[in-house]
Amino acid sequence: MTQLSDLEFLKLSKGQKFGYKVSRFFLGIPKAILGFFLKIWEGLKKGGTAVGREVSDIVGTFIHGDWKTKLSFFIMGFGCLARGQILRGLLFLLFEIVFIGFMILSGGYWLSMLPSLGKVGPSEEYSEVLDAYVTKYNDNSFQILLYGVLTIFFIIAFIYTWRVNVKQNKMAEKILASGKKLKSGKDDLRSVVDDQFHKTLLALPMTGIIVFTALPILFMILVAFTNYDGTHNGYTNSLFTWVGLDNFNTMLSWSGGAGGTQSYAATFGEVLLWTLIWAFFATFTNYFLGMFVAMAINKKGIRFKKGWRTILVLTIAIPQFISLLYVSKMFAKNGIVNGFLMDMGWITQAIDFFGDASRPWLARVTVILINIWIGIPYLMLITTGILMNIPADLYESAKIDGASGWQQYRKITLPYMLFVTGPYLLTSFTGNMNNFNVIYLLTAGAPTNAAASSAAGSVGYTDLLITWLFKITTGAESQYYMASVIGILVFVVVALISLIVYNLLPSIKNEEDFR
Amino acid sequence: MSEATAKRHMGLKTSRAITNTAIHVLLIVISIIWLIPFVCIVLQSFRMESTGQVGYVVPKVWGTGNYVKLFETDFPRWYTNTFIAALATAVLQTIIVLCMSYTLSRFRFKMRQPLMRFMLILGMFPGMLTMIILYRVLKDLGLTQTNAVPGLILVYVASSGMGYYVSKGFFDTIPMSLDEAARVDGATRAKILYKIILPLSKPIVIYTVLTAFMGPWGDYVFARYIAFGTSAGKNVAVGLYDWLNKDQISSYYTMFCAGGVLVALPVTILFLFLQKYYVEGVTGGAVKG
Amino acid sequence: MASVKLTDVKKVYDNKVTAVHDFNLEIKDKEFVVFVGPSGCGKSTTLRMIAGLEDISGGTLEIDGEVVNDLQPKDRDIAMVFQNYALYPHMTVYDNIAFSLRLKKVPEDEVYDRVTNAAKILGITEYLTRKPRALSGGQRQRVAIGRAMVRNAKVFLMDEPLSNLDAKLRNQMRAEIILLRQKLDTTFIYVTHDQTEAMTLGDRIVIMKDGFIEQVGTPQEVFDTPVNLFVAGFIGSPQMNFLKANLVKGGSSYYVELLDVKLPLNDEQNAVLAQKGVGSQEIILGVRPEHTTVLFDNAEGAIECTIDVNEMMGSELHLHLRSKNDDKIIVRLPTVDLSKEQRASLSYGNKMYITFPAKVMHLFDPETEKSLIDG
Repeated sequence: MTQLSDLEFLKLSKGQKFGYKVSRFFLGIPKAILGFFLKIWEGLKKGGTAVGREVSDIVGTFIHGDWKTKLSFFIMGFGCLARGQILRGLLFLLFEIVFIGFMILSGGYWLSMLPSLGKVGPSEEYSEVLDAYVTKYNDNSFQILLYGVLTIFFIIAFIYTWRVNVKQNKMAEKILASGKKLKSGKDDLRSVVDDQFHKTLLALPMTGIIVFTALPILFMILVAFTNYDGTHNGYTNSLFTWVGLDNFNTMLSWSGGAGGTQSYAATFGEVLLWTLIWAFFATFTNYFLGMFVAMAINKKGIRFKKGWRTILVLTIAIPQFISLLYVSKMFAKNGIVNGFLMDMGWITQAIDFFGDASRPWLARVTVILINIWIGIPYLMLITTGILMNIPADLYESAKIDGASGWQQYRKITLPYMLFVTGPYLLTSFTGNMNNFNVIYLLTAGAPTNAAASSAAGSVGYTDLLITWLFKITTGAESQYYMASVIGILVFVVVALISLIVYNLLPSIKNEEDFR
Repeated sequence: MSEATAKRHMGLKTSRAITNTAIHVLLIVISIIWLIPFVCIVLQSFRMESTGQVGYVVPKVWGTGNYVKLFETDFPRWYTNTFIAALATAVLQTIIVLCMSYTLSRFRFKMRQPLMRFMLILGMFPGMLTMIILYRVLKDLGLTQTNAVPGLILVYVASSGMGYYVSKGFFDTIPMSLDEAARVDGATRAKILYKIILPLSKPIVIYTVLTAFMGPWGDYVFARYIAFGTSAGKNVAVGLYDWLNKDQISSYYTMFCAGGVLVALPVTILFLFLQKYYVEGVTGGAVKG
Repeated sequence: MASVKLTDVKKVYDNKVTAVHDFNLEIKDKEFVVFVGPSGCGKSTTLRMIAGLEDISGGTLEIDGEVVNDLQPKDRDIAMVFQNYALYPHMTVYDNIAFSLRLKKVPEDEVYDRVTNAAKILGITEYLTRKPRALSGGQRQRVAIGRAMVRNAKVFLMDEPLSNLDAKLRNQMRAEIILLRQKLDTTFIYVTHDQTEAMTLGDRIVIMKDGFIEQVGTPQEVFDTPVNLFVAGFIGSPQMNFLKANLVKGGSSYYVELLDVKLPLNDEQNAVLAQKGVGSQEIILGVRPEHTTVLFDNAEGAIECTIDVNEMMGSELHLHLRSKNDDKIIVRLPTVDLSKEQRASLSYGNKMYITFPAKVMHLFDPETEKSLIDG
C-alpha cells in the first residue's frame, strides 16, 4: 500500500482517513516486532563488547603497568599508597582486608549452603543442665538465603571496587607521566562537598533504598522459588528448600488446588480482572469528576473559590484510615446510611452493602463510589493548577470561531489535560492496582468468595491482588511463597501495562507540541 | 428588532447567570456531601446513651464520657507512639527526600537515568512484599513489639528516597543560571544547596515535611505487622481498627469516634495553616515531575 | 464586508477603573482602520469589545446597522488574529484552519477547497500537515491569518499580530498584510503600538491615549496636522522636536520668538490665528527633524546649537543638538555630500545652526497641549 502524499491524505473523508491509519498500523506490527528483537540483539552485542573491552583493558593495564600497578592487582590500594595518595590507598586496603576476612569467617559458609538452603533441621537434644529435652536449632534456611544473597552482593561490590582500583592505577600512571600532580587526600575531601557532592547526597538515601527495599524485594523474588511458609519457616519447624517453578505452576494451573473447588489460576484470573476494572474506574472516575469540579470552581463568575477548595482539601488532611474505617461502618447493616434510607422510606429492609455474597457487584460499585469521595479533592487540586496554565487566547479564538462550551472542552481543555497528566494517569492507574488501604479498610475484601476461598485462602469479591497477598501472608498458613508469586505476577502485569501505555502516550510522541 | 434577533441577544449575559447559579448550587451540594462523614464522627463521639453502632447520627444524650474513657485504655500510648513516629519521620524523611530530589534535579551524572529507571521498576513491586523480611530483620534487632516505634521510623524513613517526584519537579523550576552564577563566584556545590537553593524552596520543604508528618498517622499495614502481639506497640491506626472488629465494636464504637476526632485534630489544624504550601506542592510539582 | 459604528462606547471594570471613555467612531465598509497608541491606552480593550470578548459597559456597537452589544462573538460574524497566534497546539495546520468551518458543519470537500485556497494565497501549502510547534514565528503568523481568512467574515480584527516578530520579518509581513488587504476586500480593524505600522497600513488612524481618542484621520492628516502635543510627538520617527518659544502678536501678523531669533509665520497661519483671536503667549514650537535644515555656519534667522551626540545611520547622520536654553533637537544630515572637514567637525560641543520654513512650524499651547492652528 503506497504512502499517500499530504494533500492526497487530506482529501480523504473521515472514514477513509481512519481506515488508512488502521491499515498502516497493522502493516507496521511485523516491523515493530522485528525491530524489538533486533534491539535486544543489539543490546546483547553491546553488552558483550563492553565486557570484552573491560577485560582487555584490565589485561592491558597489567601488562603495561609499572611494578606498583602490578602489585595493586593483589594488594588493593598499594599503588595509591606508593604514589602518595595515603587516604585512598588506606581505604582500598581496608576494604580488601574486611572483604577477605568476611569471606573466610562466614561468607564462604553462606555461599556453600545456598544451593541446599540448609540440610539439618531442628532437633531435640537432651541437655543435662536443664534435665529436659531442648530444641537445638541447626541450619537456618532463612538466614542462609538472606546472608547468602548478601554475600553475593558483597562479592559483586568487591569486584567493582577492585576494578576501580585497577583503573585508578592506570590513570595515575598517565597523570604522572604527563607531569601533573595526583589528587591529594585534601582534594578528595573537598570534592566530597563539591564535584562529587551528588554522591555524598545520594549515599544515605540510596543505602536506605537498597537495604530496605531492593534487597527485600530480591529476597522475596527468590522466596517465590522456595516453599517458605508457616510450616517451613526455616528454623523452628523445618527448613525450606528450592522448589523451582513449582509454585508458578500451581498458581497458573487450571486444575483444582489442594482440596478446593476452584483452581488457583481461576482465582487469580478473577482477582486480576477485578483489580484491573477497579484500577480503571478508580482512576478515571476520579480524574474526570475531579477535573469537572476544578473547572466548575475555576469558572469566571463563581464566588468563594477559595472556600470551596478549602472544604474539599480538608478531606485530604484527615488520615485516610479514619475516613475509610468510619465510612465502611456507615454502610454497615445497622449503620447510618441504612438508617437514613429507612427513615426516608426509600427502602424497607437494610441493604447489606458489603456482606451479600449473592450481589458482589453491589459491594464493588459502592467501593468505587466511596473511592470517588476520597480521590476528588486531590485530583481537583492537580487539575486546577494545570487548568490555570492553558493560554486564555486559545479559548477566545475558539469562541470567535463559534465553538460552544462543550466543544471548547473537547478540543482544547481535554487534549491539553491529557497531555500534561498522561504520565500521572499511568502511575495513578498502577498505584490504584496496588491501592491496599482503600479496599482493605473499607471491606477487607468482603463479601467472601466461597468458591475461590477454599483453595487459596480467604478471598473476597472486592479483594485486589494485593489484599489477597496480605491475607495469604497473615493467614493461618502464612504461605509466603504464594504471596511472593502473586507479588511477582503483579509486577509483571504492572510493568507490561506501563511499557505499552508509555509508548503509546501522546505525551511522548508529541512532546514539543505544547511548548 | 425581530423575535429571532431578540432571542440571539439573550445570549451573553443571561445564559451566563443561569449557568453560574446552577454551579453554585452544585458546589453547595458537593460541600455538604463531602463534610457529612466528619460531621457524623464528631457528633457520634459525644453520644452517651449507647456505645455501639446505631443507625442515627445526632446523640440523644450528650457528654464527653467517651473522651474520658479513652484515657483508660492504651490509646494514649498509641497516640504517643504515632506522634513520636510522625515527628521523627517528618524530620528525617524530609532530609532524605530533599537530598534525593535535589541531586536528581541538579546534577547530570552517568548513572542518573538508570537510577531513576531502577527506582521506577522497584516501585512496581507491591510494597507489602518487603514486609515479611523487614519484620524478621527488625525482630532480630529487637525493634519490634514494645520497641516498635524506632522500628517503624526506620522503615518509613529508609526507603523514602523513592518518593522524590514532586520535590524534583519543584527543583526543576529553579533556573540553573542561579547555580552557575554561584559557581562562578566560587561556591562549592554544598554551599549552593544551603545558601541559595534551600532558601528559595520554602514551599516544597514545608510540603515535604507536612506529607511526611501525615504518613505515620495513617499507616495500618506495617504498624500491624510490627506491633504483632502486644498492645503497647501499636499505633493509632491499628489500635482503632481493632476496636471496630466484630467482638469489640459494640462497646468501642463511640470511643472510636472520639479517638478518631483526636487523631484528626492535630493533622487537620496543621494542614489548615500550611494549606497554601501543600496546594503549591501538588499543583506545581506533582505533575511536572 | 460591513460597516462598524461605535457610539459613546465605554468600558469600566469592576474596580471602577475606566479603560475606555466615550469612544465614538464610524468605520466604513472595506475600510482599514488602525487603533494605535502606547501600552494601556485602551486600544486592545476596544478591539475586544468589538469582538465580544469583553462586555460593553456603555454605549452601542453596531455592525452593519445592527446593534450587537449582547451578541455572542460567534454570532457577530467576525474573525480575529491574536497577538500570540492562539493556534491549537495539538492540531495540524490544516485542522487549525479548518476548525471553524467544521464547527459550522461545512461539507469536507468544501473545507478542503477553502483551506487549500487560503494556504496557497499565504504560501503555507507545504506546512498543512505539520503541527504549530514545527513552524517558525512568521509561518505561525500566516496560519493564524489563514484561520481567520477562511471564515469570510464581515469584519477582520487583528490584535498586534506583528509584535512577536523580529524587525526584518515585521517589515516583510507588513507588506504581505497590505497585499492581503487587497485580496480580501473586507473591513479591517488593526491594533498596534507601532506608529510605522499604523502609518503604512491604515486608511485611517485612530490615536488613543489613556482610554481617550486623541485624533482620527488619514496618515497624511495626522502627520501634517496633529491636533495636540501627544499626537505630534507620537507620529513620526524620529520624534518631532519641541522647543520652548513665544508667540508674539504684532498688529495683524504674528511671529515666533525663539532665542532672540524672530521667525515670521505665513499668511494661512496668520489668518487662522487672527480668526481665533489668539494673543501673545508662551508656546511650544514643534518642528520635525526631516523638515529642519542644518548648517555648518551661521545664517540669517538661524538658531545656534551645540552637538551632544551624533548617530551614524548609514546614509544619514542623526545629530542630537542642544539649544542655548537647553532644548534638545534632533536633525538629519545626509552623509553623501559631506566633505572631510565637515565630517571631522561633527564632534561633541561644536556649533551647528538650524533653520526651518514657517509652514513646517507647529504651535502648541503649553497648558492645554492643543495645537493653536490645527484641530
